[in-house]
Amino acid sequence: MRKKVKAVPEWLNSPIWSTPPPATAPADPFGTEFSRPLAPPPEPPPSVPPPPTYEQAVGSYTGRERETREEEGAGAALRAHLLADFKSALSKKTVNMGELRRLACLGVPDGGNDIRPLVWKLLLGYLPTERSLWPYELEKKRSQYSAYKDEFLLNPSEKLRRIEESKLSRKKELNGEKHGLLPRLEVTNEEHPLSSGKSSLWNKYFQESEILEQIDRDVKRTHPDISFFSAKSNQESLRRILIIYSRLNPSVRYVQGMNEVLAPLFYVLSNDPDESNSASAEADTFFCFVELISGFKNNYCKHLDNSRVGIRSTLSKLSQLLKKHDEELWRHMEVITKVYPQYYAFRWITLLLTMEFSFNVCIHIWDAILGDPEGPPDTLLRICCAMLILVRKRLLVGDFTANIQLLQHYPQTNIDHLLHIANRLRGTVAS
Amino acid sequence: MVLVLALGDLHIPHRAPDLPAKFKSMLVPGKIQHIICTGSLCIKEIHDYLKSLCPDLHITRGEYDEDARYPETKTVTIGQFKLGLCHGHQVVPWGDLDSLAMLQRQLDVDILVTGHTHQFKAYKHEGGVVINPGSATGAYSSITYDVNPSFVLMDIDGLRVVVYVYELIDGEVKVDKIDFKKTATMHG
Repeated sequence: MRKKVKAVPEWLNSPIWSTPPPATAPADPFGTEFSRPLAPPPEPPPSVPPPPTYEQAVGSYTGRERETREEEGAGAALRAHLLADFKSALSKKTVNMGELRRLACLGVPDGGNDIRPLVWKLLLGYLPTERSLWPYELEKKRSQYSAYKDEFLLNPSEKLRRIEESKLSRKKELNGEKHGLLPRLEVTNEEHPLSSGKSSLWNKYFQESEILEQIDRDVKRTHPDISFFSAKSNQESLRRILIIYSRLNPSVRYVQGMNEVLAPLFYVLSNDPDESNSASAEADTFFCFVELISGFKNNYCKHLDNSRVGIRSTLSKLSQLLKKHDEELWRHMEVITKVYPQYYAFRWITLLLTMEFSFNVCIHIWDAILGDPEGPPDTLLRICCAMLILVRKRLLVGDFTANIQLLQHYPQTNIDHLLHIANRLRGTVAS
Repeated sequence: MVLVLALGDLHIPHRAPDLPAKFKSMLVPGKIQHIICTGSLCIKEIHDYLKSLCPDLHITRGEYDEDARYPETKTVTIGQFKLGLCHGHQVVPWGDLDSLAMLQRQLDVDILVTGHTHQFKAYKHEGGVVINPGSATGAYSSITYDVNPSFVLMDIDGLRVVVYVYELIDGEVKVDKIDFKKTATMHG
């Protein structure tokens, strides 16, 4: 006798959310299409004014390929309107963050690549809301980054030379004598290349060389298909940012995948039409990266893996979220087919979905992740849950292998759908 | 920043069984980019050991080397510096700085590294700098029994070289350093 399962909300079951199954899938021989009892959809607690529904924002959707000219026209008009809204929100003397976040959750529209750098900098708190403070803040942060570069990027040779040069009060002429035995100076503090002393610059340098090599390798293979990332100077910038981050954060250092999280940030900020901004993209990206990662830092700490705040706990939060909103799917995934989140969601969460979607789509999703007032970690979880719900029909008929395959190669979907569902889950992520 | 290890006159196994333990613990692979060895290793096992520390190994023939294929002299260009290598038993009088200076001018190098005397020396003359890393095992030489184990590590950084001298004195490793810059007039 079947246990009574929690009713699936009607809006979840609407046909417009489902993606078409692959053409080669055999017809289901057991006719497992159950009919579900209809129940009123649960109302999400409105912490912010809910963004316009999908239909209102972009026009009704019956299938990407069948979008008619009319609907395109309506969509384009709305997009232009959205762009204008963005521009007006950004041009205020004091930016209203609530308003900006509301707009960002809709995604920066297609004509808006110029304003995206500014939007992201505001959303990540790099720029204060007070417009008049921007030049001062930018100057401060950029010179701080220069200081970081000097401190963390020199090899021990150069560092020691600088220390000596600053110590020498009078310029000692090293090549004064023409003949003779060269003078020997005693080495203090075990500061020599083969030192194993804890405070030795050389020792630290060699211990970190492994990390440097890893960063080097990962930077070289970031988005090889995109020409922007093949440029040596851009790779160098990514490298420097990651090295400085690893030196400043010894608890996390560098974890493979951080390069993927860094890539969209650097790309967007480098493509700022304003020359002075794009020239300092490296410094700006560094601080934005620090801010973005700070919410996810615990996911990268190996020793926190099994703790209350580490990656495992994040994955179980995803589980709980799924269970809350779609118990039937949850049961099918975790109990029947044993497809646990760690098999598919690990990459979703640690890489912030950069590997699940194409680069441009990913940037669009990040508009919502960065913009949502609930904050990137919770928003990301909601989007992951929405990703599962969006393909529920296929998951429910799939076994372990099929589901893993599906989730590890997430199919192309309409992103606005996805964000809309994620939005409906607002306010339900357990803290 | 290129690290170059200069050592020689180990005389293993005839005069010494092995490198001092304290030296061996410091010499780990992965740190050093080049090794230049003045000679008198004397056996293949030592050659292999040095090769394991660093694949770029340059050796010249010492009097007692069992492998006869090492050259008498060798020149290596590392960064902005030309280094010359020769065991030194060929240069008579042994250890005489003027004769070594002649050899240096012949080889046309900025730094000449030689051995055979088993005594560390770093000497500057108009033609350049002569460095003798001593004997890494402290083996007795043709001249004296009183030898402290020593070797040299050079940090070549642009036009500047910092020479770190590692000596084992009374069981303790003592490190000194020597700093010099290359100028245009170094070797005419």
